[in-house]
Amino acid sequence: MSTPQEQNKKTTTDALAPTLSTSDVDLADLDVSLIKRVVMSPSFALSVAIGLFVIFGLTQSPQFANPQAWINILRDATLIAMPAAFACIVLVSGGLDLSVGSVLVAGAMASAAVASAGLGAGTAFLAGTVVGAVIGLINGFFVNFAKIPPIIVTLGSLFAVRAAVVASTGGNPIGPLPDDFTFWGQGDIFGVPIVIMVGLVAVVAAHIVLSQTNYGWSIRAIGGNLIAARSAGIAVRKVSISVYVLSGTAAAFTGVVLAARLGSGSPTFGQGYELQVIAAAVIGGTSIYGAIGTVPGAALGALLLSVLSNGLVLLKIDPTWQNFVIGVVLVAAAGLDVFRRRQMFRVSAKRTAASRKVSS
Amino acid sequence: MTLTTQGTGGQVAEEAPPALEITNAWKSFGHVSALRGVSLTVRGGEVLALVGDNGAGKSTLVKVLSGVYPVDSGNITIAGVPLERADPRLARSRGISTVFQDLAVVETLDIAANVFLGQPLRRFGIFADRKQMISQSAAILRSLKVRVPSVRVAAGELSGGQRQGVAIARAVRQDNPIILMDEPTAALGVRETAQVGEIIRSLREHGKAVILVCHDLEFIFAHADRIQVLRLGQVQGVRDVSATTRTEIVSLITGAIARDVDGEVSE
Ligand SMILES: Nc1ncnc2c1ncn2[C@@H]1O[C@H](COP(=O)(O)OP(=O)(O)OP(=O)(O)O)[C@@H](O)[C@H]1O
Ligand SMILES: [Mg+2]
Repeated sequence: MSTPQEQNKKTTTDALAPTLSTSDVDLADLDVSLIKRVVMSPSFALSVAIGLFVIFGLTQSPQFANPQAWINILRDATLIAMPAAFACIVLVSGGLDLSVGSVLVAGAMASAAVASAGLGAGTAFLAGTVVGAVIGLINGFFVNFAKIPPIIVTLGSLFAVRAAVVASTGGNPIGPLPDDFTFWGQGDIFGVPIVIMVGLVAVVAAHIVLSQTNYGWSIRAIGGNLIAARSAGIAVRKVSISVYVLSGTAAAFTGVVLAARLGSGSPTFGQGYELQVIAAAVIGGTSIYGAIGTVPGAALGALLLSVLSNGLVLLKIDPTWQNFVIGVVLVAAAGLDVFRRRQMFRVSAKRTAASRKVSS
Repeated sequence: MTLTTQGTGGQVAEEAPPALEITNAWKSFGHVSALRGVSLTVRGGEVLALVGDNGAGKSTLVKVLSGVYPVDSGNITIAGVPLERADPRLARSRGISTVFQDLAVVETLDIAANVFLGQPLRRFGIFADRKQMISQSAAILRSLKVRVPSVRVAAGELSGGQRQGVAIARAVRQDNPIILMDEPTAALGVRETAQVGEIIRSLREHGKAVILVCHDLEFIFAHADRIQVLRLGQVQGVRDVSATTRTEIVSLITGAIARDVDGEVSE
């Protein structure tokens, strides 16, 4: 797209310059690539998939147009999206957190215990969340100092934390919980559940952290090339530990919200939750190989899971098929990630394409 | 404290401490002794070439000097001040920039992020100033005559030579008094190599201390002031470029000429 003038300028000023590539920064190219990037992005594909499913649903059942159904869908989505946003951050950093479900129940039970002791909603939220942060810190410590692979460390806490919760509660639920606490899980403002608003804030905050802050760029750097990040002076251990703390905090906070929503805490909360959370992140385009992934993608992944599970019920389809569909979508999403990575780093093919100015 | 040594090498006041000095450095990896009592000195405005066979310990020395590896024993001083621990960030803040042999590029990040890796421009303290990083990295690459399609392209999409350009741009941008370059021309063609030669010449003219690891003796004789030969983790000899020949250097590299005592120049 260069004008003849530009071509001239290049040949004169860059007489000495290496001819490493075909074109200089080209605004028209940037616009094209931006549109291409959006269309090629997992978030876009996911939005289209959700849209198509909803349109199909609307033709089959009037329930799909019911605002209450949508509030349920969004509330369920929120409870997955909050931990998924931070699971996405952990994955992008090159880590993995399998302890989400157990940390969730630990947060729920800690807050329920504090709330039922009458210490107030604020203390209950704080106590539950701090428990999650501490477990996250322990995860991060073992990953970074003992050099044990994250899959093992967090699998260990998955077992150990739930066992500790069951042992310390005798396996019994705690409840009913006081109104000032349950208000935050059951109340709404202008008809919108507080849960959804809080979740939205958490997801937006996670998105800003990952995409706009230097800390977020460091997270992506360590997930992309740990050695390069370290030799460039990034404090890789601090960054890595911190993402586990964030993930633990978010999981426990979700547990607190769940206890508030249901009016009691149960040691059975969150069993297998980590799988849904990781599925949401991966469906949303987060790469299990690290470095690639977005929080809005993970949130859309959570929305898809919620739309599917609620939608199939509305469509009166046997709920066993839910997990079948989720399994297929998950593998398809991971396959897309592998494909995109290969596209992205197939240097020669890419450069040939660029030189021919082919846009496919 | 910044070093203000001026001039083009040679007769700098002897009282001024060297820009960078390492004495009697030992470093082993398990059973492999990569450095066995290596000493090295470089002054501002001087280009010191580091040569030796594969596995001689050149990259290990560079990584030790840039704070990536701790030494088992030995001392590093920067402008006379000891560097107390191995930490890339500390070394950089004390004035050392490095172009690593493996380039230390994050393939999944774009060029702008790679040029500013570990040292991003900030807005309001915590936010990445992407606009500035994009325009400044484009300007730096342009001034170094490194051609890339756009600074927003992922580094993984670049050719070896372009990655080398990004790695050099990162080091040069830091504008530190000491620059270590580990095989900066390894992936480059003839013209690009000449361009790196220009960059080294300009760094030297600006009074920087440059350590250049390179296998290309042509290039070294064109750009270096002194040549230090490493062999099997030891200093085989140090020569002024003006007082040596390619044959002598090759003989030192292969061990055909015996090791100088204490690595002193033997004339
Ligand atoms: N991280 C490491 N772990 C184990 N051994 C290492 C490590 N780094 C270097 N070595 C060993 O130390 C010795 C010196 O390696 P080094 O990379 O410093 O050589 P070099 O002079 O840079 O070689 P080249 O010209 O091939 O780059 C080699 O025997 C190498 O195998
Ligand atoms: Mg080397």
